[in-house]
Formats: sequence, structure tokens, C-alpha cells
Amino acid sequence: MTTTLTHQTTAASARGLTRTYGDGDSAVHALRGIDLDLPAGRFTAIMGPSGSGKSTLMHCLAGLDAATAGTVTVAGRDLAGLDDTALTLFRREHIGFVFQAFNLLPMLTAGQNILLPLELAGRAVDRARYDQVVGVLGLADRLGHLPSQLSGGQQQRVAIARALVTQPDIVFADEPTGNLDSEAGAEVLGHLRRSVRELGMTVVMVTHELEAATYADDVVVIHDGAVSAHLTDPSQDELVAALRGRSA
Amino acid sequence: MRGVLLASLRHHTRRYVAAALAVVIGVAFVVVTGMLTGATREGLTADVGAPVAAVDHVVTVDDAKAASNLLDAGAERGIPALSLGYAMETVSRDGVQVAASADISEVSLEPALQWQDLQEGRFPTAPGEAVADVNAAKSTDVAIGDVLRIGTGDAATDVEVVGLVDSPAAMGASLYVPWQVLEGFRGTLWVDAVAWGGAPELATDIVPGATVESADDWVAARQAEISRGVDVLAIMALIFVFIALFVGVMVIANTFAILFAQRMRDFALLRCVGVTRRQLRRAVRLEALALGLAASALGVAVGAALGYGLVALVRHWHADMGSAAPDPLWTGGAFVIGLVVTLLAAWLPTRSATTVPPLAALRPDTGVDVRSAVGRWRLGFAGLFLAGGAALLAVSVVSHTVPVMLAGGSAAFIGVLLLGPVLVPTLIRAVGRVVGDGPVRQLATGNAVRNPRRTATTAASLLIGVTLTTAVLTGLASTRTELDREMDDEYPLDATITAVDAPLAADLAERAGAVEGVAEVAALDGTVATIGRIEVPLVGIDRRPGVVRGTEDLAPADDVLVLPYDVIEELPRAMAHQAWKGREVTVTVGGHEHRLPVEPSSGWGRAGIVSGATLAALDSSPQPTAVWVRADDGADAEDLRGDLAALAGASGAGLDGGYSNRAWVNLQVDVMTGAVVGLLAIAIVIALVGIANTLGLSVLERGRENALLRAMGLTRSQLRRAMAAEGLLLSGVATVLGTALGLAFAWIGVEVLIGTVVDDAGMTVPVAQVAAVAVVAALAGLGACVVPARKAARVTPAAGLALD
Repeated sequence: MTTTLTHQTTAASARGLTRTYGDGDSAVHALRGIDLDLPAGRFTAIMGPSGSGKSTLMHCLAGLDAATAGTVTVAGRDLAGLDDTALTLFRREHIGFVFQAFNLLPMLTAGQNILLPLELAGRAVDRARYDQVVGVLGLADRLGHLPSQLSGGQQQRVAIARALVTQPDIVFADEPTGNLDSEAGAEVLGHLRRSVRELGMTVVMVTHELEAATYADDVVVIHDGAVSAHLTDPSQDELVAALRGRSA
Repeated sequence: MRGVLLASLRHHTRRYVAAALAVVIGVAFVVVTGMLTGATREGLTADVGAPVAAVDHVVTVDDAKAASNLLDAGAERGIPALSLGYAMETVSRDGVQVAASADISEVSLEPALQWQDLQEGRFPTAPGEAVADVNAAKSTDVAIGDVLRIGTGDAATDVEVVGLVDSPAAMGASLYVPWQVLEGFRGTLWVDAVAWGGAPELATDIVPGATVESADDWVAARQAEISRGVDVLAIMALIFVFIALFVGVMVIANTFAILFAQRMRDFALLRCVGVTRRQLRRAVRLEALALGLAASALGVAVGAALGYGLVALVRHWHADMGSAAPDPLWTGGAFVIGLVVTLLAAWLPTRSATTVPPLAALRPDTGVDVRSAVGRWRLGFAGLFLAGGAALLAVSVVSHTVPVMLAGGSAAFIGVLLLGPVLVPTLIRAVGRVVGDGPVRQLATGNAVRNPRRTATTAASLLIGVTLTTAVLTGLASTRTELDREMDDEYPLDATITAVDAPLAADLAERAGAVEGVAEVAALDGTVATIGRIEVPLVGIDRRPGVVRGTEDLAPADDVLVLPYDVIEELPRAMAHQAWKGREVTVTVGGHEHRLPVEPSSGWGRAGIVSGATLAALDSSPQPTAVWVRADDGADAEDLRGDLAALAGASGAGLDGGYSNRAWVNLQVDVMTGAVVGLLAIAIVIALVGIANTLGLSVLERGRENALLRAMGLTRSQLRRAMAAEGLLLSGVATVLGTALGLAFAWIGVEVLIGTVVDDAGMTVPVAQVAAVAVVAALAGLGACVVPARKAARVTPAAGLALD
């Protein structure tokens, strides 16, 4: 029963996850044996200074990049055994993405961008789900616009809607507020938290902004390619202490 | 600035490959044309003067008769005289045909006039002897001592080969016989001049009105004439060079436009750090100059190498080709053209690229989203050109004026090209919708129309090649139909075997029917008649035999004699005169005289035709007299003629018929079609380089986008398919549009060009050929995106997202 239990409570996990770029003297060790369990139905922030390996960690967890060693399990599935096509199909079914920038295809409208993953998968559109997601993100009157006609915050909301519409097991957000002013950023983070609370999604966000991390339920702090802290419902002080302890 | 220039050249070398390739192909094309022209000219003009070296004057005559008079007079008075011309006759040995149509010239019996270069044996000393060209002898396996029969039927003459000679290209023939023999082939003999060792006045006395020139002047004039002929060929080739270069300009301009768009942020950054707009423009243009210099130099080298190779190859088969040497004018011209084309193509993109504001570098968005609007001016001009072109084309169809047609066609085509940014994306969307609406196709369609101007230019480069190829193929096919129709009437019979002295063997028709390439035979009975001292076989026809082509039925009414023009010519003057007027002639058969009205005609060999009833009245027991043959379509003319000549020769009969001419004309059209398509293929190849280039550069531009799509679940094969679909849409739309335009232009061309000759000129669409062009072009478009698609699909999502 352990596996079932893991499946129900853990959306993604890593064991001994190592990622090395290049080899020999010029090798860069981005991740050095990470062990991590990301609980389902929670909003987790992965934090760390730039170059700490947090983006690489996310890419590996999301099946965008292959691990050099160790295992990654997402939605109960070990990603190591999957070839490129299987991995792509897996992503399509189980993972949603929100990136920092260049999130939307410029030639598609907001509505088309939201439906793109379903189209790629050849899946029928669940109208109720679509309306719900669009409603939660407040995009109903923006669906016919091209990305160039939307503000940065609106663009990120479209990207979140796109990530949610497929009902993925886990949504990865890579610095989703990096290109936004603080007001729009707060709005986007609010929407991410609402999607966890109201739609029961699992969201994993990579960020280096303390402000952004305060919206999360859990915070994983990465430093030099290793996990230095995994805090559950941290207070602001605990969070600051965890970050400071590492940067000292 | 120089450091920046060099660094960016180094950095972007690979992206310039396609543009450089277009220039290299164009420049090499010019250099090769120049070298081939030079070698051909050298080969053809060499030793033109050899035949007249021994005399002071050359008399230009109108026909063989005048030449005959001069040569006879020369012989009487001991004046050196030599005919310059040739007869085209069948040559056979022991009843087996050696050559269906060999060119035969005169070899003088006078040693001083024997200008050919003797390689083996000796020159003729009597009329029954001949010398053969050493190359022709080699290819037909003729040796000294062989007895050759020249001509068929009555005119056939036997000569013995006593020597082998070498002779220059322009004046050479395969076989040389003394005048006494050559004179006999009146039917095919053509003499344009006589080398004359006597006084000019004497020549004009003998042939009033003949032109007498000094030998030197005549040689100079001949050389100039040959040069002009070669120049015409060179100019024709240059038309294709121009087309290829025009396509090249589009490909290069597009490459620059895309590269500059991708480097917009670099340019902006340079402007931020203090580079003036002028400096930037200069740097970018210097970059184009460097590219032009390198590509042109490479093009010259490639062209020279190809030129040497090609000339050597041609010389291998064709000894008349001169030696290859790069002509300074052509080579220099090619280099300059390559340079100018590159600079020209870079001019406009450079202007728009350097207007980038410095602030662009500071904008946060990393995606390059290049859009181009379609200007109102452009649409206005497009409309103007289209309307003007259409009007001119309409005028040309009505008035049959070629220059108006060319002007109208060019204007209309420019109109279509200008309209491209609107037209091509619309068509792509329409086609994309027809094909279906899966995500892959939607993506492909969306990407293909994202930048209308870039798409239009890419499509236009292919459009040019496809339009011209389709138009030329259709035009030539229509010409061929028209020629076929004319030849059907001119040569109603493919081959005829006609009895000369004795009746044909009874089984000859059966044996002729068994010859490979024979579709159908008709055996005709007849008799031998004497008309004014000459013996003519007469055949009887009741109704048109199935072997006859064309509209004439050849079956005469009762009591009418149809005589070939050649036979009438042989009749005594008074009788010939009567025959021409269609009056009666006296025909003697079996000792009985009959008077029959005459109809002159031709096309079936040396025999008269009467109706079956008339034949029965003339001779109660007719004998097999003629076998008429219809060839299979596409039968080998040489083989067919050789096989039939063997049959005819064995029974002492004459062989005639139009199949060789028909096959020769068809071959000319085929050669022309092949040459034109081959030359246009160069433009199409450049266009495909352009498509590959546009797609390849777009892949770089869309790196992040593709990575995003891959992250969201687009599989590698879906991405490859999307790229393939994009390439196919682009080439497909260009092909469809090109085929439609090509057919329209061909129709107009047929109306204007053939319409002047025949009233009911029809257009023949060579469906298979046109379809082949369309399929090849469209598939080549697909092929052009193989490399870019693989490149795009190879990038992992994470790496793509990290791209700057």
C-alpha cells in the first residue's frame, strides 16, 4: 500500500538526482544528489540564488532535461525509462508549465493558446473545465486577443490557464513573476494560490523573490546544487532565516 | 568598427551559406557559358579557310545548277574549281545501311584543290573513288577498300573508299566524292559557293548575277557568321543566367532580411554604445561586399573547373570542340555580376535594418517577432502592373505582336510578385484549411504565413522557375502538336519501299511487317509505265490505306494519275510543263498508250498513283510494286530505316518516306525541351536553396517557441511534421500558382506565336510533364526542409528555453 499512499500524497519526487554539464575539468555540477518529495495539492516554492541549480532541478523534475544520475518520479512514473517521445507524451498528459517569458505563441489568440496543449494531445475540450479555469483567472473577455495585445500580467494569466486546462498532476512555474511589476506579480501569484486552493492543483514554482515565496505553502531552498532546507508552512522569519543561513 | 565587422562575419558565416551558394551558382553559370561559347567558337572557326586556300576567289551561287555550270566550265578550261556544299544521302555497304543520312561533299581530283588532311591511303584519282572522314569512318566502321553505295533506288551510286582524311568542323563532311558523283544527288545537294581559281569576270559570265569575292573576304565573312551564330546561342544562355540571377537576388535579399531581423538587438546594442547609423550601415554593407567578393571568387573558380571539365567531356565525343580557356571578359563580367547582385540584394534590407532605434536593445522581450506589413503603395503598384500587363497581353493576342506579349507578360508577372505578400499567405491559409485542422497543420499554416513578405519572397523564387518551366513545356508541346499536324500532311507515309526495275518479292510486305518498329504495312500492286522515255512504277489505290497519316487520302479518282514532283521534273520539258498545268500526259503500259490527266503531289516515293479501276484498265495482271509502312510511335528512326533499307536493297527497290524527318524534328523539339528545362532547373535549384535557407533561419528564430511547444507536449515527430508541412505548403502554393500562371502564359504564347501561322492554333498541355514539374518542385520543397526540421527537433526543450 506504500506506493498507493506515495502516489496520493507525493506529486513528484527525486532520489539522488544529479545533473552534470560537460565533462572532465570543465564539468559543471548543477545538481549534486538531490533527494526531494513534493507533496500533492500544495503550492511549493523552490528558492535559491542564481546559479544554485533551481532551474535545472525544475527542468529535470518536469522531464524537460534528463538526469545524469538518480531517479525522478512524477505522478508515480519513473521518468528515467522514457525516451523522448514517451517523455513528451507524458508531459502532455501530466505536467503543466508556466515560464518566465516567451510563454505564448505570438500567432495564436489567448483562447487558442489556452487550448493548445489539448489540441496537441488530440484531447476533447472539457467545456466546463475551460470555463472554470478562464473564470478563475478572469480572462473571459480577453480570449480573442493576440498575446501582443495583452499586458504582461494578462499574458501570464493566459499561460496559467493553459497549464491548468489539461488538469495536470503537477504544474511547474519558472519565475512566473520575473518580468512583471510588483502589482501584476502579486495578482499572478494570487491566481496560482487560488488554483491550488480552489481547483486542487499541485503547483511547483521556481523563484528567487522572497515576496513570491511567501505565497507558497512549502518552500524548498537550494544552494550549490543541493537542498539546504525544506520548510512546511514557514513564517516569514523562518524563511528569511533559512535563506540567510545559507547565504552566510 | 572593423573588429565588429570581422567578428560578425566569423560568427554568421554559416548563416550566409545559402546566399553565397546562390551567388556561386549564378557566377559559375556565367563562367561556364563563356567557356563553352569560347571553345565552340574556336572549334567552329578553325580552318574555315582550308577549302579555299588554293584559290583567289569564291563565287557564291544560288543553286547546284549554277555550281555545276561553273565546275564544268572550269574543267573545260583547266581552271581550278571546287564546290562548297553537301548532299545528304543514305550510305550502305553490302546492302546494310551504314548511315541513314550522311553529309557528302566534294573532293577534287585536282591535287592542288585536295584541301583535306590525308591521314591514311590516298586521294581519289577517278570518279568511282572516295575518301571518308576519319572520325566518321571510325564510328561507322568504314575502312579503306570498302565499297559504299550512296543513295537508294535509281540514283544509287557505288564508290570505293581509297583514303581517310581529317577535316575541320565548319567545312567538314563524313564522305568526300568527286563532283561527277556528287552532282548525281540533285534531290539533296545544296551548294552555296564555288572556290574559283579563274578570273572573276569569267565566273560572272558563266553565272550571271553571282557574287564573286576574294577568298580572304569570304573566309572572314564565314568566320563572322559562325561567330554570330555562337553569339546568339550565348545570348540565349544568358537569358537563363539572368533568370537564375534574378531568383538569386530574391534568395539573397531574403537571407539578409532574415539575418538582419535576427540581429536587430545586436544592432541596437551597437547603436547604444555609440555607433552612428551611418557607421552601422557601412559595416553591414561591407559585410555584404565581403560576402559578394568571396562568393564571386568561389563562383569563378567553380565555373572554371566546371568549364574545363565540360569542354573536355564534349571534346571526348565531339572532336570539333575547341580548347577551353576562361575568357577574361566573361570571367570578369561574371565576377562583377556576382558582386553587384549581392550588393543589390543587400541594399534594401540594410536600410530597414539600420533604422533600428538604440532603445530596442533595452526592451525586455527576448522573442524576435518580425512582422511585415503590406504597404498600400505596394498593392497599388501590383494592381497597376497586373492591369497594364493584362491589357498588353490582350493586345498581343489580338495583334500577334511578340514584343507586346513579352512586355505584358513581364508586367503581369511583376504584378503577381508584388501582390505576393497578400496572395501567397491567403493561398497558404486556404490550402492549409483544405488539408485539415490538426494541431500540426495549424501550426505549420500559422508559421508559414507569419511573415507575409518573407513567405512571399521565398515562394516567389520558386514561382519563377515553375512558371517558366511550365510555360516552356506547354509551349513546346503545343508547337510539337502543330508540327505533327504539318508533318502528317507533308509526310503522309513513314516509309515506302517502291519497286525500281523488277516487281517486289511477294513476301516483302510480310517481312517488312515483321521489322521491329513497324506498326502497320500496306502492300500495293502496280505496274511499270513509261512516261516520256522514263520508266515510272504506278501503284493502284482504291481507298485510303490505313498507313497514311494526315488529312490527304492519296486515293485518286478514276482515270487520274498522281505524279510526284520529282518525277515530273525528270520529264522532257514540254511534258513537264503540261504536267504542271494538270493537263494530260501519255502513259505507255505494255505497249499501249493511254492519256491521263495529271495531279502533281508528293510524299510516297518514286511512283505514280492511280485508282484500282484505272490500274486494272492499264494492266490486267498487276505485280507487287510498293510496300507502305507506318512506324510505331517512338520507333528508332535509324534502326527502322536501316532494317527497311536492307529489305529494299536486297530486292533492288527504292526506300523513301518521312519518318526520319519526323523523328529528326521530334528530336529537335526534345533537345530544345531538355535544354530549356535543364537551364531553368538552375533557377529552381537556387529557389530551393532559398526555401531551405528561410526555413533554416526561421528555426533559429523560433528556437524558444519550439522549445515551449515541446515542453507542452509537442512530440519530436510532430515538430518535424509541422516543419515539413510548412515547407510543403510553401513550395506547394508556389507550384500551384506557378503552374496556373505558366499555363496562362503558354496559352497566350501559343495564340501569339503559333496563331500567326495557323488560325486554329490549339494549346496542348503535356499533362505528365507539367505534373512531373509540379510534383518535383513540391517534393523538393519538402526535401529542402529536411535539414532545418531535424535541427529544430534535435534541440531539447530545456536547452531551447535557455536560448537567448
